Amino acid sequence: MADLSSDSYQVIVVGAGHAGVEACLSSARLGVKTLLITTNLDRIAYMSCNPSIGGLAKGHMVREIDILGGEMGLAADETCIQYKRLNSSKGPAVRGTRVQSDKDKYSAFMTEKVLNQKNLSVIQGEVKRLVLEGSACRGVVLQDGSIIHSNTVVITTGTFMNGVMHIGLEQSPGGRVGDQATVGLSDQLRDFGFTVQRLKTGTPARLLNSSIDWSKTVPQYGDTEFFPFSLRTETFPKLKQIACFLSRTTEQTHDIIRKNLDKSPMFCGVIEGVGPRYCPSIEDKITRFADKESHQTFLEPEGLDSDLIYLQGISTSLPADVQYEFLRTIPGLENVKIVRPGYAVEYDFVEPTQIYHRLETRTISNLFLAGQINGTSGYEEAAAQGFVAGINAAHKVLNRDEFILDRDQAYIGVLIDDLVTKGTKEPYRMFTSRAEHRLVLREDNTLDRLFDISLNLKLSGSALEEKMIKLKDERQNLLSYLRSERIFPNEQTQNKILEMKSAPLLKPATYEEFLRRPEINYTDFVKKFEIPAVADPQIFEPVEIEIKYSGYIKRQLEIIDQQKRLERMNIPESTNYSDIKGLSSEERDKLSRVKPRTLGQAQRISGVNPSAIQSLMIFLKGRKKLKDLPSDNSEDRSSHGQSVETR
Amino acid sequence: MKSNLVEREQQVICAISTPPGYGGISVIRVSGADSEQVVRKIAPFLPQEVKSHSVYYGFIQSTELNPSTVKSIDEVLVLYFEEGRSFTGEKVFEIHGHGNPVLSDQILQELVKSGARIADRGEFTYRAFLNQRIDLVQAESVLDLIQSQSSSSSQMALRQLQGELSKEIEHIENAITRLLAHLEASIDFSTENLEIISQKQTLDQLQHIQKLLAQRVSEYQKGKLIREGLVVSLAGRPNVGKSSLLNMMVEQNKAIVTAIPGTTRDLIESTTVYNGQKIVFVDTAGVRTDSVDIVEKIGIEKSMESHKSADYVFFIFDLSTGITPQDEEILSGLKPENLYLLGNKSDLVSEADLESTQKLLQQSNFFKRNQLDSHWISSRLAFISTLDKKCREKLFDMIMELAFSTQKEDRAILTHARHFEKLSEALSKIESVQKMVVAKLGAEFLSQELKDSLICVQEVLGKHYDDQIVDKIFKEFCLGK
Ligand SMILES: Cc1cc2nc3c(=O)[nH]c(=O)nc-3n(C[C@H](O)[C@H](O)[C@H](O)COP(=O)(O)OP(=O)(O)OC[C@H]3O[C@@H](n4cnc5c(N)ncnc54)[C@H](O)[C@@H]3O)c2cc1C
Ligand SMILES: Nc1nc2c(ncn2[C@@H]2O[C@H](COP(=O)(O)OP(=O)(O)OP(=O)(O)O)[C@@H](O)[C@H]2O)c(=O)[nH]1
Ligand SMILES: [Mg+2]
Repeated sequence: MADLSSDSYQVIVVGAGHAGVEACLSSARLGVKTLLITTNLDRIAYMSCNPSIGGLAKGHMVREIDILGGEMGLAADETCIQYKRLNSSKGPAVRGTRVQSDKDKYSAFMTEKVLNQKNLSVIQGEVKRLVLEGSACRGVVLQDGSIIHSNTVVITTGTFMNGVMHIGLEQSPGGRVGDQATVGLSDQLRDFGFTVQRLKTGTPARLLNSSIDWSKTVPQYGDTEFFPFSLRTETFPKLKQIACFLSRTTEQTHDIIRKNLDKSPMFCGVIEGVGPRYCPSIEDKITRFADKESHQTFLEPEGLDSDLIYLQGISTSLPADVQYEFLRTIPGLENVKIVRPGYAVEYDFVEPTQIYHRLETRTISNLFLAGQINGTSGYEEAAAQGFVAGINAAHKVLNRDEFILDRDQAYIGVLIDDLVTKGTKEPYRMFTSRAEHRLVLREDNTLDRLFDISLNLKLSGSALEEKMIKLKDERQNLLSYLRSERIFPNEQTQNKILEMKSAPLLKPATYEEFLRRPEINYTDFVKKFEIPAVADPQIFEPVEIEIKYSGYIKRQLEIIDQQKRLERMNIPESTNYSDIKGLSSEERDKLSRVKPRTLGQAQRISGVNPSAIQSLMIFLKGRKKLKDLPSDNSEDRSSHGQSVETR
Repeated sequence: MKSNLVEREQQVICAISTPPGYGGISVIRVSGADSEQVVRKIAPFLPQEVKSHSVYYGFIQSTELNPSTVKSIDEVLVLYFEEGRSFTGEKVFEIHGHGNPVLSDQILQELVKSGARIADRGEFTYRAFLNQRIDLVQAESVLDLIQSQSSSSSQMALRQLQGELSKEIEHIENAITRLLAHLEASIDFSTENLEIISQKQTLDQLQHIQKLLAQRVSEYQKGKLIREGLVVSLAGRPNVGKSSLLNMMVEQNKAIVTAIPGTTRDLIESTTVYNGQKIVFVDTAGVRTDSVDIVEKIGIEKSMESHKSADYVFFIFDLSTGITPQDEEILSGLKPENLYLLGNKSDLVSEADLESTQKLLQQSNFFKRNQLDSHWISSRLAFISTLDKKCREKLFDMIMELAFSTQKEDRAILTHARHFEKLSEALSKIESVQKMVVAKLGAEFLSQELKDSLICVQEVLGKHYDDQIVDKIFKEFCLGK
């Protein structure tokens, strides 16, 4: 497995969670000698919480990772046991894929990938410290004191650093159930001057399948039309598709929880870390939404052969006996057996405004951070960062340019820019509403957005590359076809149009023009007019959407274009903000802390006003100008000498 | 909008560029590549081709949709400076109008309606710098000034918004935020079985917001003073010279003047325009408390009503007779807030008499009861003679001073015009959302437009858009695995 004969690597990845796996794979695939160190080899890419991948905005990121050559999409497809396309009836920009995966198979798939990857070695062990030379990272120290050198290190330790688990008022150290907490790394970072803070997250109980009375629940089936995450996936789905089951909390459930609130660590102030608002515990839900009589819960099997049922929506940190008591008031769970009670975990994270977009820290060079350690939550958020960090760690070794995705190119770009620009106060999760360019960041056009970038990156491999080129051509051909073919206003046509409940044609129209009509959709159109055009949604969907919403999309592209001008104006890292006139002291503080790369990023820092951006622009241009422009004296200025600048 | 600095740089901007306050003239500067189109809409008198550094004379017109209601706003001079030869380096127009803040406000509103927006602080300087019309040192000195002023001006913006108005705008803000939270939650949390509002409810809420905004916008548009003019009612005993004063102010023989007390029996209204401001004078029947004449009695009642509804009341007394008990009685029916005391027929008395009259006034019951001081009297008492035409100007300035003392700083007008601009923009976005809902467009399209509208409203409130929607979603909905 591990090649320990030589004790030096180019990239070391610490942690084999969702971030770590993508990081070590992308680095190794770029031809860089990589070592993955993790505390538990049996839990590679293990799903600590819910057994599903994707969802709104998260699904978008999985597709992005896939097109760029990452692994998550493929793993999710391979292990999918229920498929859903969310918002399929809503607008095109906000459709998202979500699969439920067989948890063990998912982990096994990734383990296999990691163990068989060229240039990649894997060892079990706990990293205690970094080897530092001044402010440069040169490797890691393991718990047995052994030192492994490397050019760069990527830390992806998830919820493990100084992790504390809470079940009721009992606490025990741990990163998650069954895994020890890791101690040392975050303290070293704190000592070095990093701002390290606490966050909290929680998970519901796991129930024994055979103890549940399924007749009292409502089955929920997945879709029957499938759009796999990965372009590499040939057959989908591979595994048997199963149902989830819906049940609800009752008045009794709420009474029991209310009566026992004094035993919840959240409510007794035992937990100091901030939890995610989008993932509240059931205790939280019942107190904050007191008038809601019932909350729904999905019972999700953790795998085809698994006995474990995940209880979505009922995350809790009440004591185990209270969990028993209230769970048994939920229909179907009258005789339930708990395999593992729900719990909350508190852990250290590094305030992410301390890292660059390439995910390297500002203060320690060669050190990269990715995943939950940066204050995020969720597998997809972790994988996206791990993927980017792995590439950048490798690129640093290879002396290549940093790899950064822009906000208008990918949700991954939004994620990282948000983190390093705004920081976070609660576990950060991606929402589509965080993306200001939502209309162009769709799932269906992932390939079109990232095609060039992926080819440049050279991570996707020749098979995927071929597929990408083919699909892109097919889409292009279809568009050309729809633009060149026309329908004419003869009787036959008008009748068909009438049958489609649309207004008669006044003059000949190209297919493209006709498809702009809101009530006309591609599939009906080609069927009705017996047009020999492609029927594969993978090809026609983005084409149709871009035709239908071209006005809105064009407008967004214009805004992006304008924004680009600001994104291209680099702010030197050495900029001293106290030298710049016209900034308030709050603006000075924030700018000095975040050190934005560009004027565009500066603009996104909350509390930095448009006038401050003007000042920055003047400062940046002025510095240039002082050097290369003669001072300007104009006749008109004197003619305006009387007027006063009052603005 | 914060997200769109580059677009902002290409827009036409306008602002008052004369020093604050009520003055002889005010200069409104309009700058930007498209400034000519904008200015032409309100200055139809401009020739086909304008020449740089030339002056054009005419009337600024309001851009009403209905041509029959088009009206002139102010008599102005327009100066044109071509690109490369102006203060900002862009195409610039300067509109020199009367130094009347209400008119400036209206001209700014018309410019906004024609496509300009109110400039940010320092924006002219900023553009001048970008176009290399000024150097870094000059630009930075302006920036320094702006920074030092901005805290006081944001206070100003707040003061302007205090009370009912700001509550109403906050109400609008809340309504939009709530709707937006619903839309966003319906997208990002569609699996959570939330109680999301229906399309009908969405439309209802939009209509509610639209109505509130439209109301606000129309109120901004029609300042009361512009609509009706300032109304000044003339009060006083018979024969003190009220009718003479009216005739002098409107420069016409509108009212009959005789030496017989009780000449004027009914209200006489006459309108004049001073520095572009419409002012209506109302001559009234002199009040005689002991009158027995039935016609005169009705006239007197009407007089009292006129004083009550007027913006200002001129109380005129006869210096040659001094303050009489009857004067005191009339005074007791008037309120000091909008009152001027005019001692007439100063040509008949000596300097010393004027001083003693002022002393007498200060000892009057009216003074004591209203707790007035010498400060009040110095700004409200004037000695005039209707035989001396110079008094006319003096009185007009006195009116204007008081009328616009609440808007002494022109920043206030700019804030006012900016609010108009922002609320109009918010309104038009809401209207387009309404159309989108009807056209059954997805939530992500509505949300974009609605967010823009929210940003406008928040700018009026001096707030910045920053993830409030996400906060609102978590407050409104119970979500989570
Ligand atoms: C109790 C719980 C509840 C959660 N609830 C949710 C939820 O509701 N919603 C949601 O989206 N996400 C939830 N998550 C988070 C989700 O599991 C993580 O966001 C995601 O797994 C983070 O990925 P990661 O790669 O950053 O870290 P992890 O997946 O946590 O992986 C960290 C890896 O690092 C290894 N490691 C740690 N320290 C060291 C060390 N010093 N040396 C070597 N190896 C080390 C560990 O063995 C592990 O393999 C929850 C997690 C937990 C534990
Ligand atoms: N010397 C002098 N006489 C004035 C002046 N103003 C008005 N008069 C005279 O005063 C007399 C009364 O003037 P009016 O203007 O009719 O007075 P009035 O207040 O309207 O009187 P009624 O309508 O009767 O209430 C006329 O004879 C005027 O010529 C002034 O400033 N100086
Ligand atoms: Mg009279």
